Amino acid sequence: MKRFVKKWRYPLFRTLMLTAWALLAGFPIFWITSTSFKPDNEWHKWPPVYVSKNATLDNYRMVWPIHQTGSIFVTPDQKGHGVAHESVTANKPWHALKNSLLIALSSTAIAVAFGTLLAYGVSRYRILSDTRMFQLLVLRMIPPIVVAAPLTLYYSVLQLMDTASGLIVVYFITSLPYAVWMTKSFIDEVPREMEQAAEILGASRWQTIWEIIFPLIRSGVVATFLFILILTWSEYLLSFILSKVDVVTLPVQLSKYEGSTEGRVYGHQAALAVGITFPLIIIGIFIRKHLVRGFTFGMVKR
Amino acid sequence: MTASATETAAGTGAAPARGSRSRGIRIFKWTLLTPLFSLFFFLMPVFLLQLYFSLHSWTIYLSSWWDADYAGFDLFREVLTESRFYWAFARSFLFAGLSTVGCFIIGFGLALLMYRPFRGHSVFYVLFILPMLTVPIVISYTADMLLFRSGPINDIMSFLAGTEIRFTWLANPNFAIFTIIMLEIWNWTPFAFIIMLAGLSSLPAEPVEAARILGASRLRIFWEIQIPLLRPVIFLALILRFLEAMAEFPKTWGLLQGGPGTSTETIPVYLYIVTWRAFNVSKGAAASYLVMLLMIVIILSAIYVLRREKKALDALYEKPAGGGEA
Amino acid sequence: MKKAHVSRRKFLKGALATAVAAPALLRAGGAKAGPEEDRIVKASKKYGKASLNGMMWALYWRNYPRLNTEFKGLTGISMDQVNDVPNLLIPQRAMAEAISRSGKFDIFHVESMMIPSLVAAGLVEPLDGYMKEAGFKLEMVGNFASFMKYQDVTYALPTDGNVCPQFIRKDLFENPDEQKNFADKHGKPLKWPETWEDELEIMKFFHRPDKELFGFGGLRDKENSSFWYWMYLYSAGGFPFSDDAEPTLTTPAAEYAADTFLARKQVSHPEAAAWGSPQMIPRIVEGKIFSAQYWDGIIARIEGSPTPTTGKWLYGVPPGSKFSGRLIKRAFSAPVMGLIVNKLSPRKKQAAMWSLYMTTAKNSTEVVAHPTMTFHDPWHPVHMTAPEVEKVYGGKAGMESIRKSLLVTTPPPYVTGYQEFKEAVDKNLSEAYAGRKSGKQAIKDAQEEWGKIVKKIGKARIKKEIPYYKAMMPKMDVPT
Repeated sequence: MKRFVKKWRYPLFRTLMLTAWALLAGFPIFWITSTSFKPDNEWHKWPPVYVSKNATLDNYRMVWPIHQTGSIFVTPDQKGHGVAHESVTANKPWHALKNSLLIALSSTAIAVAFGTLLAYGVSRYRILSDTRMFQLLVLRMIPPIVVAAPLTLYYSVLQLMDTASGLIVVYFITSLPYAVWMTKSFIDEVPREMEQAAEILGASRWQTIWEIIFPLIRSGVVATFLFILILTWSEYLLSFILSKVDVVTLPVQLSKYEGSTEGRVYGHQAALAVGITFPLIIIGIFIRKHLVRGFTFGMVKR
Repeated sequence: MTASATETAAGTGAAPARGSRSRGIRIFKWTLLTPLFSLFFFLMPVFLLQLYFSLHSWTIYLSSWWDADYAGFDLFREVLTESRFYWAFARSFLFAGLSTVGCFIIGFGLALLMYRPFRGHSVFYVLFILPMLTVPIVISYTADMLLFRSGPINDIMSFLAGTEIRFTWLANPNFAIFTIIMLEIWNWTPFAFIIMLAGLSSLPAEPVEAARILGASRLRIFWEIQIPLLRPVIFLALILRFLEAMAEFPKTWGLLQGGPGTSTETIPVYLYIVTWRAFNVSKGAAASYLVMLLMIVIILSAIYVLRREKKALDALYEKPAGGGEA
Repeated sequence: MKKAHVSRRKFLKGALATAVAAPALLRAGGAKAGPEEDRIVKASKKYGKASLNGMMWALYWRNYPRLNTEFKGLTGISMDQVNDVPNLLIPQRAMAEAISRSGKFDIFHVESMMIPSLVAAGLVEPLDGYMKEAGFKLEMVGNFASFMKYQDVTYALPTDGNVCPQFIRKDLFENPDEQKNFADKHGKPLKWPETWEDELEIMKFFHRPDKELFGFGGLRDKENSSFWYWMYLYSAGGFPFSDDAEPTLTTPAAEYAADTFLARKQVSHPEAAAWGSPQMIPRIVEGKIFSAQYWDGIIARIEGSPTPTTGKWLYGVPPGSKFSGRLIKRAFSAPVMGLIVNKLSPRKKQAAMWSLYMTTAKNSTEVVAHPTMTFHDPWHPVHMTAPEVEKVYGGKAGMESIRKSLLVTTPPPYVTGYQEFKEAVDKNLSEAYAGRKSGKQAIKDAQEEWGKIVKKIGKARIKKEIPYYKAMMPKMDVPT
């Protein structure tokens, strides 16, 4: 018995603690998912409704309209007025999704591409000293709110306001430090002998990068790409300040519920939030193993 | 520094060096550095404009920016004599400090429980990283749904405690900032967890084994072997988290806009209000410069610490395994 | 009511078309495809087609698509892109436009208190010329039209009256048991409150937090506190500036207003300090609030479709104060939303015509009376009697409370830099409400901050604005 207790005490303790935190970590996500299926009379009910017995897809239909003709805000009409007219904002969530995809994907791709090259240079030719490498992180660490006003003016002069390229450039800049740091930690692990061999065989430097290094660090580059995608995808402030009508992104689209005078439309918010969050969660689960490596900035030797 | 430089030279210079080759390398280096320089030149005007704003008194609706009056350091003086600015700073430090420590303790604790594989490991792992993948603005709305007085959190707490609890999470001026800190901890514990897990799993097994054979207690092994070996990772987790927390905006703003009263007004919220509510761009710019300066000081000291730790680590691993510390 | 001089034929035409015989309606020519609309369409045609960009919250925009399509068919001018931004953020976005001066937006749907600042920023097109050209006359209840003007020039066209009548729970207030208990306790009958003190007494009586019923449902957060404060201040005969542009926030009337503001904490929901409309409206609609001054849109929310409290509210004019020696009742209207045309836009002429078309008596009635919408609240004299508006606002009682409240409605400080003045008051009052400082200290601090703001904006500028701001005040003490 005593031995049994001794053997199982720690695993039991571990499972308990881990389960407790897993519940804490998962609960808000469970709640938002569950709320997105609730009909409107259950949004603020007391006692709270945990899983709706009257689950409905109405919230999704409202927020993510499939038919281009319906206006998202026209609720089923009680008094007979026609709602046949298309609202200009009807397709906004899809429009925002398109923008988010375009901006996040391309800025991330550019950042990772340049980041990888820089990282290669740093790793093999020390084009940046250690100090410079750390200083690169400053780019990421300055709160974006600090530069919002001059950036607005600057972008207006450059005609970059409300353009996808404007946002792509900004996100390229803010994510470059992470891109360099993460890919460098992967490149550092590639043995140099292979490059030397390639060089002796007469390969050019670019060939070496593309044909020797890149295949070896591919999974790391994928991890970096996806990690930066997460950060770019959720960025709110810069996107809010630098967009007008054309390049509204999903987080900005969601923010319009701030101070909504018709009351907290929890169900609609939740349906939109699920749409924003779940792609990330799927990506995150997909790259979970890579995240570990990417995050440690070479501080951990494997 | 010198050691690694020679190492690089040794690494790349195995083939006999020729003039054309070194020229080729130079061209190659500069090709790689070009994007960085263009970035620098692209960004220059932003910081120059910011400097211009902070030295001229410009409120958006009062004049055009190009003919704003020169104000010298008046705006800096105005910001520095404003108690609101200091309060915002204090709150930001409290917010960043406590949330960093919280994230770290929980993340480290979880990592300690998780670093040896067991059944169900990957299920927990996936659940634990979920919060980090949630968009911050979504978190602020979710928190609003969860935390109001007759919301699910109070319901669950009432259930657990057996009596009805109606705790005021958001409207209590003394507690609101802690609510936001808890959200930040929830959001970013995965970050500390992942880093610490990576750190723990990469620790060499030999020193621990040796100590165990010598009869050291688990606690002693933890404090005297594992912690010292993990120091660089710990610093990294703390510093990165602290810096990101100093800039946190969407959650704080989305949930309480700095209220109730001003009890959650952190530096980013203060800057937002000054620049985009009062449209006092110059004062915002001056405050931004002060914040930037402080952040740079923090970052530089962080860099100093990180570099020292990294060097120590590199030195440690250059020695035969299991050497030194144990 | 005043009789309008109209010909019999015109009268008949109007009556047949709308079945509303209000003289004001006829004066405005509100018949189907009425002459006013025809004039606007005619005037628009010479400017040619245009595809407009607007900045408007989707919750407002949703009333316009039909009219937008109609106007497009008639003139080729239509709003094709709408930047969906909540009201609170539009001033910021508009100012960002003042920085970038791009002319990308043609119309801002922004609160009218921003007009002085936006005019100072050179962003607003005066509309009087267009109004004259199209034979358009802006009519609003009471003194309300002055909210759309700045120094006698019209800069905005209203879309939303947003006044705050008094709401009191009918089922509780008229319950004989409650009335008896109240009379027993206070030695006087339970009557509709005439002063803030009466209101507080009644709210205290009905404040039953253990039963999830809270006496007061006004807002006390950082974004909205000042709105209530101005109402208390004006009703006490106070005014926030001296004629010499000195802030007067520490006068006895201002102290009284701060005390009135803070006294409501004892009968408010404990979470009120963090609540804005999104949180408060559901509580009002669900019946957890006994009394409030709140935006009239909720009348439509409560009465326009079945809710837990449909038919359970009394509507009237907010209480007043005898602080000045006589009873003065004041309501507040803020934010009053209006359509503002961007001066820098190359399509400003078409944008102005579009805005005029949306604001005619007939078309604005359609907008205000939209059955599923509650965001556009009545402001035109025609709205007050139009049956379709009445239907949405649950009958005569609600409409009468809106009309009467509009007669004594007041603006927040209508001066350049409004947002900054507002922020200072909001911040200090909400801090006091949160228990961080006394009411006296709060207004003292606000006074000090206002002093700095006045100095920055320039005393001369503010001084010039004050007579216009004063002229916006209602002409009567108590509405009839």
